[in-house]
Amino acid sequence: MSFEKRTCEISGLEIEKNSESMIKLNMATAIIFFAIGGAAGLLVLLTRWPAIHLLPVEWYYRWLTAHGLLALLVWIIFFEVALVHFGSVTLLKSRLAVPILSKITYGLMLGGTLLVVVMVLGGQADVLFTSYVPLQAHPLYYLGIILFAVGSLIAFIHFFINAVVAKKEGEYKRTLPMVSFGIMAASIIGIMSIAHGAAIYIPTFLWSLGIIETIDPSAYRLVWWGLGHTSQQINVCMMVACWYGIAAFLFKAKPASEKLCRSAFVLYILFINVASEHHLLVDPVFSTWHKIVNTSYVMHLAVLASMIHAFAVPASIEMGLRKQGYNNGLFEWLKKAPWGNPAFSATFISIVLFGFLGGTTGVIFGTEQFSIIRHNTWAITGHFHGTVVAGTTIAFMGMAYFLIPVFFKRDLIMPGVAKLQPFVYGTGITILSITMMAAGTFGVPRRHWDYNFSDAPFGYQFDSTVDIFMGLVGIGGLIAVVGGAMFVFVTLGSIFKGNKRA
Amino acid sequence: MSDEHNGFHAPGTFVLAIIFLVTFILLWLGHAKWLTDIWEMY
Ligand code: HEM
Ligand SMILES: [Cu+2]
Repeated sequence: MSFEKRTCEISGLEIEKNSESMIKLNMATAIIFFAIGGAAGLLVLLTRWPAIHLLPVEWYYRWLTAHGLLALLVWIIFFEVALVHFGSVTLLKSRLAVPILSKITYGLMLGGTLLVVVMVLGGQADVLFTSYVPLQAHPLYYLGIILFAVGSLIAFIHFFINAVVAKKEGEYKRTLPMVSFGIMAASIIGIMSIAHGAAIYIPTFLWSLGIIETIDPSAYRLVWWGLGHTSQQINVCMMVACWYGIAAFLFKAKPASEKLCRSAFVLYILFINVASEHHLLVDPVFSTWHKIVNTSYVMHLAVLASMIHAFAVPASIEMGLRKQGYNNGLFEWLKKAPWGNPAFSATFISIVLFGFLGGTTGVIFGTEQFSIIRHNTWAITGHFHGTVVAGTTIAFMGMAYFLIPVFFKRDLIMPGVAKLQPFVYGTGITILSITMMAAGTFGVPRRHWDYNFSDAPFGYQFDSTVDIFMGLVGIGGLIAVVGGAMFVFVTLGSIFKGNKRA
Repeated sequence: MSDEHNGFHAPGTFVLAIIFLVTFILLWLGHAKWLTDIWEMY
């Protein structure tokens, strides 16, 4: 097939025209919402910092709702839609099969986002991003989420259409290349997760309109987490795909055994949905058998997959660098690795932090006995800033540094700032995550405007060490905000103002 | 290089992996200790 394309001089990738504009659009949109979501995070942070306690109570919950949605949903999924296009068109040297579908996806997702933001900041949806019933938001809020979800569903389906077309037109032989394979696994999980989303948001929407009378809170939580947890595995898969991608682009690195890595992606697809039970361990209605089978056994098969990836990628990087001659001792390759290239440093930081911060704590807190004392404390918030921020977000940052010059044909501006950025952001998030977990260990609740219960008839005094941790969360958070702002300036600056290449 | 039998082409990562696993186990045991400490308080 012939279609309009160009060859990128930096990466050698062939860039097809239609997918190029969609990748640019989705990536830029993602970064803009990352900026707004980060600003929301700052407001929430400054409110939880006892020395500042910035926002009044309603606005704390409003901005917290906005932060959860904009950061976890909007930034991440717009970026993933860019990756879906990248994995199913660029990497397959193929073409965008149905360009109009990409436009519909974008329109639905953007429209949904705007609707949701207006509802939340307009005070019509003080329900946090989980919108647990019986909390009720304005119907347009649920509609906004549904539009967003339908948009992303179309994108995940589009992956398969593109892949089939590429195969038909002979662009690849037997199986998808590794990175596309990971993005395909993410797309399968995406479709599963949105099926749960439909099963829960459509009835909830009807309930908010008064058409359905009640929704059972336990049933809501069960089905909602089929969306909420499963979608985290989209994020993990996409993150891992970025790890393999950067390793391959920068070092021509290949995993020692592709078969093993591919089967690890299959483990994700098979077992991740059941692991969602860790959100329900404290709910009284589910049986102990159910809980134990899910979180004490099946969960570990998904964890096994993450460990395979987290060892395979550094090993492939090590082998790549050793081939380049960095062969002395155990760690010469690591010392001489291109730490000044933010695409690399972000990727490596993502791997290490995801393993040490997010991974370990996820497994531990997901055990039934531990969950009971960790549930709804700040330890959980600390944990997922170790997964979805230190892991996924930093991996996407690395990918953005790689993709922006390739797709926008512009150089990164402020290379010195870009060089430091992953370290600043990584340091901030590490401090934030660890100290949140420490505060949570002492029982500090998550999602709480006044954790000292100062207006309650019976006050509660936490151990005084908690004050130190609360302050450290504030400091770590500020460092992260600086790192996040550096990312936004460098990437948006490069997109709009970077030196043009021919 | 054959696809199989090349674990030790990446000895650095092997060491990192061991460090990771040891940390992991210590954290896990630490949690268990802490949990039983709490139990004993009641
Ligand atoms: C500058 C970086 C960030 C800072 C300073 C920050 C800070 C915070 C704080 C203080 C909370 C409130 C916890 C509470 O009061 O219980 C929070 C919640 C949350 N954050 Fe972040 N965050 C940052 C980045 C991110 C990113 C990039 C994501 C997603 C990819 C994210 C996802 C979430 C989610 C899902 C919640 C939970 C909301 C809820 O409990 O309803 N954060 N964050
Ligand atoms: Cu989960």
